[in-house]
This record gives sequence, C-alpha cells and structure tokens, in this order.
Amino acid sequence: MPEVKVTTRTRRAPGSRRETKASEDSERIAVVGIPASGKTTYFRFLSGHFGLNLPITYVPAREDGWSLPLYGDLESDVALEETTYETTDPTDPEGSLETTTRYYVNRPLEDRRKLWVELSAGREDQGILTKYPLPTKFNQFVEMRMRFRYGASDAPGGSRAMELLTVDEAGGIISDYFTYDRLWLTSAEGEVSEKSCRVIPHFDSWRPDRQELWRRGLTLLGRFVEGADAVILLLSPALASLRDQAQQVNLARGVFRYIKSRNLPLVMAISKADKLKEFYAEIERSIRERSYRSHFDTADFLLRRDGSGMGTILVAQEGRAISTREDVFLISSAVSTGEGHPMFLGESGEQAPEVGSPTLGVPVMVNTTLPLARACERVLAKRGTKGT
Amino acid sequence: MAVRSEPEVTTTGEETPGVPAGPDLRDRNVLLLDLSKSMLAPLPEPDGTSRERQKIEVARTAVYRILQDAAKSGTPFGLVTFTETVRIPVPLGTIHRDHLPFIENLISLLTPSGRSAIWDAIGTGADVLRAGERGVLGNIVLVTDGWDNASTRYTARSPDPSAPGPRRADLVSYVLPPNSQLNVRVLGIGSGSERDKGVDAGEMNLLLGRLRQRAAEIGSASAFTFQEVTTGSQLFAQMVQAFLDVGYGDEQPPTDELHPEELARTAATAAKALKDPGAHETVSRLHVGPLPSASPASPVVAPEVEVGVVPTNAGSPAYLKDRYGPLGEIVEAYLAGSYDEAANLLARSASVLPPVTRSYWEARVLFAQHNAPEAARALLQAWAEAEKLPAESRAQVQRRLALLQAKLQNDPSVEALVRFLDDTEHRLEGTKPVIRERLRSLLGDLMELRGTYQLTRLAGSGDLQDAALKHEAAVEQVFGRLQDARLELAGTGPVVDGTLDFIEICLAEMR
Repeated sequence: MPEVKVTTRTRRAPGSRRETKASEDSERIAVVGIPASGKTTYFRFLSGHFGLNLPITYVPAREDGWSLPLYGDLESDVALEETTYETTDPTDPEGSLETTTRYYVNRPLEDRRKLWVELSAGREDQGILTKYPLPTKFNQFVEMRMRFRYGASDAPGGSRAMELLTVDEAGGIISDYFTYDRLWLTSAEGEVSEKSCRVIPHFDSWRPDRQELWRRGLTLLGRFVEGADAVILLLSPALASLRDQAQQVNLARGVFRYIKSRNLPLVMAISKADKLKEFYAEIERSIRERSYRSHFDTADFLLRRDGSGMGTILVAQEGRAISTREDVFLISSAVSTGEGHPMFLGESGEQAPEVGSPTLGVPVMVNTTLPLARACERVLAKRGTKGT
Repeated sequence: MAVRSEPEVTTTGEETPGVPAGPDLRDRNVLLLDLSKSMLAPLPEPDGTSRERQKIEVARTAVYRILQDAAKSGTPFGLVTFTETVRIPVPLGTIHRDHLPFIENLISLLTPSGRSAIWDAIGTGADVLRAGERGVLGNIVLVTDGWDNASTRYTARSPDPSAPGPRRADLVSYVLPPNSQLNVRVLGIGSGSERDKGVDAGEMNLLLGRLRQRAAEIGSASAFTFQEVTTGSQLFAQMVQAFLDVGYGDEQPPTDELHPEELARTAATAAKALKDPGAHETVSRLHVGPLPSASPASPVVAPEVEVGVVPTNAGSPAYLKDRYGPLGEIVEAYLAGSYDEAANLLARSASVLPPVTRSYWEARVLFAQHNAPEAARALLQAWAEAEKLPAESRAQVQRRLALLQAKLQNDPSVEALVRFLDDTEHRLEGTKPVIRERLRSLLGDLMELRGTYQLTRLAGSGDLQDAALKHEAAVEQVFGRLQDARLELAGTGPVVDGTLDFIEICLAEMR
C-alpha cells in the first residue's frame, strides 16, 4: 500500500482567540447514526448555528415537568469545532490526507443569557470543504465537537461542562465501527489496524488513500467512543433503500452490544419523525391547537407496532439497556408552511403542494433537545450513583 | 480426473507415490484427444443388450467427465486434439463453470478423420505444460484408440541414427527434462489385443516404461498409467446416472454481480422465506450446512448421481445426447418445446434413469403442460427418491426440486433463497474445500435462525421479550461468525464476498 501523506492546516480568523477546554474536564456524549440520519442537523441546531430562536415543539411533553437545563458554555469561546479530514485528490494513485479545522465561536450579546454563534473564519477563508467530491463523500469525514453545559448554575452541584462528539459526513465510518465489533478499540489510545479493517465488505478493493482515511476515521471514532460517558443513537425511520435499512439495523445491534459491554447510558432519537405519518399528525395537531400536549404513545408505537422498523431488537432491549418510554424520542426538524403549521407530506412521503399565496417557511424543531438532556441526566445519574 | 474403474477396465503400470499435492503448477491438466478416423469405428458390446457406440462417442463421454472434474476443482485445463496434425483448441487455463457448455459443444463438433500422431501430441502436451527451467510440470491424460502412424517430430523408441528417413527426436527426454514432474495417464478406447481394435499396448507400455526409467534417472516423482476401456457399457452407465435440469429462462446474474440495491432486495425477499417457515415449508426440506460424513449405518441405497444444469440461453446444447444418453434426448425435446415427445421419451427410458431423475422430469414436463396437480404428485415422489441419495448429490438435487416446488407454488421468497443457495454452491465448486465448508456452515447457521425468529412470532406478550432476547443473541452469534469469516477469507474472491454480503443482509432482515 502506498504511503499516505498527511498535512495539517488550521484556519482561523485573524486575531481570534481559541480557548478550547481540556476534554478531561467534560462529560462526553457520542452521537452516532448512519448516513443521512440527521447528525449534521442535530449538531448545527444545538450549537446554535441555525439560531436559537426557532420554535421548539415538544410532542409529547413530559408530564413530570422535566426541565431542560442546556446552556451554551460561555466560558469557552468555541461552541462547535469541525475538523475536516479529506483526501486531496481522488485521482492521485498515492493519495494524501489533509486536515482543516474550523471553529464556530460564541459571541455573547449584552445579555449573557443569550447566545449567538458565528463561524470564526470568513467565507473566503472557508474554502471549499470538499475539493474533489465523490458521490458518497468517501474522500472526507468531519470530526464535530460541540461544547455546552448541563445543569443550572444555581442548582446543587452547579452546571457541568459537556461535549457532544461525532464523525460527520461519513456515517459509513460509524456504521462500520459499531457493526463490526472486530474493529472495536479497547483503549482511548488504541488504533484500528489495517488487518481488522478487512472485516468491512470489499475493503480490499478500495483505493489506498480511501482505506487509510477510513481507518483513521474508525480510529478517531473508536477513541472518542471509548472515552464517552453516554451514546445518543440517531435512527431514521423512513429509509427507502434496503441497503440503508440493513445498515441501520446492523448499527443499532452493534450500538446495543457496545453500550452493554461498556455499561454506558444510551438514548435513542428517531430523527425525521415527521416521516412517520401518524406522528406527523400529532405534530400538526399540537401546533394547530397550541396545546403542545399529545397522547401519542411512543412505546406502543415502537414496540408493539414496529414503528421504527427495529422489531425484535427494541423489544429485546426494553428495560435492559433502555426504557422506550424514557430513553427514546421522536424528533424532527419539520418546516412550517408559514403559519406555524408544518408542511404536509403526501402519501408517498413527498411534499404536498402549497395552497394560496406563497409564504416563507419557518423551521419547527420537534423534541430536538430532549435526547441530549436525557443523555446528560443519565450521565449525571450514573456519576451520582458511583459517588464521584 | 476420474473415469471409474469397472471390471472390464484393465490397468497396467503403477503410480509413483510421493507427488506432493497443492495449488501449484503440478495441478495443471492437459487432455490429448485422438480424432483419427479409426475413432469412428464401433466399440463392441459383448452382452448385446445396448446399441454399439462409436469409440469417439465413448471418448467424448470420458472427456466430458474429465472436463467437469477440472471445472469443479478449478485446476487449469487445456485440450489438445490430434490426427496427423496436432491442434490446441482449448489453451491451458482455468475452466470457468459458465464456459463449460461452450467447450463441451466444441468437443461434440469435433469430427474424426485422418491418421494418428500420438507421439507428436504427447510432445505438444508437454510443451503446453513446460515451465522454463523448472521442466514440464502437470498432468497429461491421453484418450486414444491408439496406433501411432503419423508422428513426424518424435518417436517413442530410442532414436536410431542409422534408420532411413527424416530424423525424429526422442519423446522421452523431450517430455521429461530435468526438474520435471509429469504424470501421464493413457485411457485406451478398445482392446489392444488386435490391430485397429484398440491401443497398441506393446508400444504404449514401452513408452511408459521408458518414461518411468527416465523419471528415476532425474529423480522425478512422476506417475505413468495405462487403462483400457473395452466396452462402452460402463461409461454409458455413468452417463445415465445423472440428474439433469434446465433453467426457467428467468435466471438472475450471480450474487456478486448484482447491483448492491438489487442484492439487498433479493436477500430481503429470500429472508422472508426464513422468517415465516410455516408459509414456506419447502425450505425445511433443504439441507443447508456442512455435508454429513457417510456413515456405515446410513440408509442410503442409491448410488451418487451427477447433477448438472443445462444453460438455456442459446437453445439446446449439441452435446446433450452424447453426454447424457436418453436423458439428454428428453431434455432436448423439452427445450424444443415438444413436451409430448419428452413425455414419451421419458416413458421409454424410465427403466434406465435414476428414480429421482425420472420423477423430477415427469413433474417438470407436467408443469410445462400446465398440469400442476399431477406435477405436484410427481414432485412429491421425487422428494421421496431424493432422500435415498448420498449426501452430496442429495443436497444438490433437493435444491433443484425446491426450485420447481417454488415455481409450482408461486413462492418468490423460496425461489430467491433456493436460487441463491444453488448458485452459491455451484460457484464455490472451484474454491478450496475448507472455504466451501466454512460458508456452508454459515449458511446453515443462518437457516437455524428460523427457529428463534419463529418463537418471537408465536410467543405471548409475557414471553415475547425472552423470545426476542434469545433471537437477538442467536443473530449476534451468527454475526460474530460472519465477521470472523470476513477476516479470514478476505481477498478470496468475489464469490465468497457476494455470499457473505447476502448472509449479512439476511441477518439484518431477521429482526
């Protein structure tokens, strides 16, 4: 295999100060999901990149008055750190790897309780993320690291620094890592070997630089999930492709295997829940009536009616690794047609035609912060149980 | 390469032990086929019960068998034909199973004429197997009726410098240069006791004796044998001891050539047959997994049958009658759409066909005649007969029966599963036995998951979680074995990869 060259380049806005806190101080939560499961949206929304003033709808709302003490970490000016690892030229038979880091920084407004996030580099400095795009982005992946705090500062014990991590733009790396336990690292300094990568179907037939990129991605992911305190699994409910469905099932089985072997809290988020026709009706009704309450029974939907296509997998885990009632959330980033009503989807899942004069759509986030808050809650509960 | 020894087949010569096995140059095979005019002569049938067959027909039957063995083992194979001219119609190379019908067609079209240049043919066969400084490495099988009367380049005897005419080189030193390891097997058609009836046994034994002496001189572990086939009846018996099937004209490309999404769709369809055994009972009749070793107490009474599938993409192949006798005629009639004639031929040949073949073809013809109830009855009989077969041919035959049953019942899930299993078995024929067994074992594990999955469907609400947990544990176990197989068999080839891909998708579907 030809040697793969590695260069590292960090792009910064001139004069900007970086104060990334040491990871050891933070509790770490890994977000995993197959390609197009909603990881990017999840990170960008939560870090404020989409703006914090979007309406968030909770369907169903928790009846116990559960609070969501999620805050931006104003002590650190970096809210979201994205490091892109990419091959420079797919046509180069020797290939080479390059890394570029971009920072989304906090810009506290006058009222420090509010937060605005912007990209620190100017547009011209951002460059083109993928210089030589391949159809499935096999020539790059992005490490995403979001910093935030959980817990009110006036609460007992105060708030805790948290980190949310994933490998973005390459859900295939995540799927492969969790699907094939022969790849799993046993220490945060370990390295996925080229030999063990052969457990991935057809790995031998890949270009050498892609093999190396994938191996690095697996290693990166393996290291941070090895050090993770909890895992959020994003599942997409409406995958048209049978291959994607199989990939998601394999990933889910792998994640269950993983969290059991490491005794980690797991929270599941069924993303793009607006694709579930029945749930979508609940969103629509909830918004129309401004009730933000729902009688939608998630557990019944998932366990007894195979609502996420996980069938026996979820039934087998119920009460062991997760509680469907408390640890599984249907989330969505549906877009309203302009009057607070989400867009309607036709029978085929396609967008229904707009009626009347065109209006700007307003993003409506559904339950988006719930999985993260629940993961934090479980991390702290586990820590409390351990007496640390 | 095996032509079975029967009482009429006499063997002279001894094999030299100590030829090491292994996938190296010594595993290459060259077949030398005599196409001299004398091969048109009939081979006597002493008992008079069956029609006399030409030597060339008998030779072709032997050649088909040798070819099939080469394709099955995946060892390189080449064909040299000779009259007074030596030709190489099939250069040395691996015989892909899909190419076999074309080569067999070619052989069926070869017409004998002229004289025999046996020694020149052996010299050319050695050239095909020559590996530079390493000498001549491989195996030669010579099929001839045997009197050399046309060689111009080589002689089997020590060259006589004083002899008149053009000088010919010594065949023995030419085919056995230093470092060589060459096995020569002579299959003589007809008795060599009188001229023009069979091989010139004296001359042939002289050559083989000199070859043995030469091998000893150069320290080569080579083997030289001579067999005579004096009647066609044994080869004929082997010919009809077959289960021959034809496709349905709707075959898909092999698993490893499918588009990934098409592969996923096929695997998902096949998985349905595993998820609901009650609705797809045919699956439970199949044997999937490692083949059981023969046991002395086994109730098996029928002999092994050769199982083949005739490709139908280019009409009826020319070799069918030569190779399969009356069964070939039935298949020809069937492929021509003459179902009544096929039924008549079937009735006439019933006594010589293996019972399972007879019942299956009854079912097949009846199915083609849209007589589904009678076809189902005949197929039921075929299932019963298949049970009596030895393990290897039983598994193959059962897959063909299951395919017809799926067609009869219009069950696409079973059809997809059986097609995959059958295709995989055939395409794995050229791989190492250890790989074959590994994949068979994995497929067996996959089939076993039917049981735990079914429990999740049958369990009451209280037991559902336990059943689901057991099923998930079973799936995880098989998935672990699949990963180990991926690691150990990485780089083995697309057939293995395709099989593992299919199993992996089926596992994901078993949820």
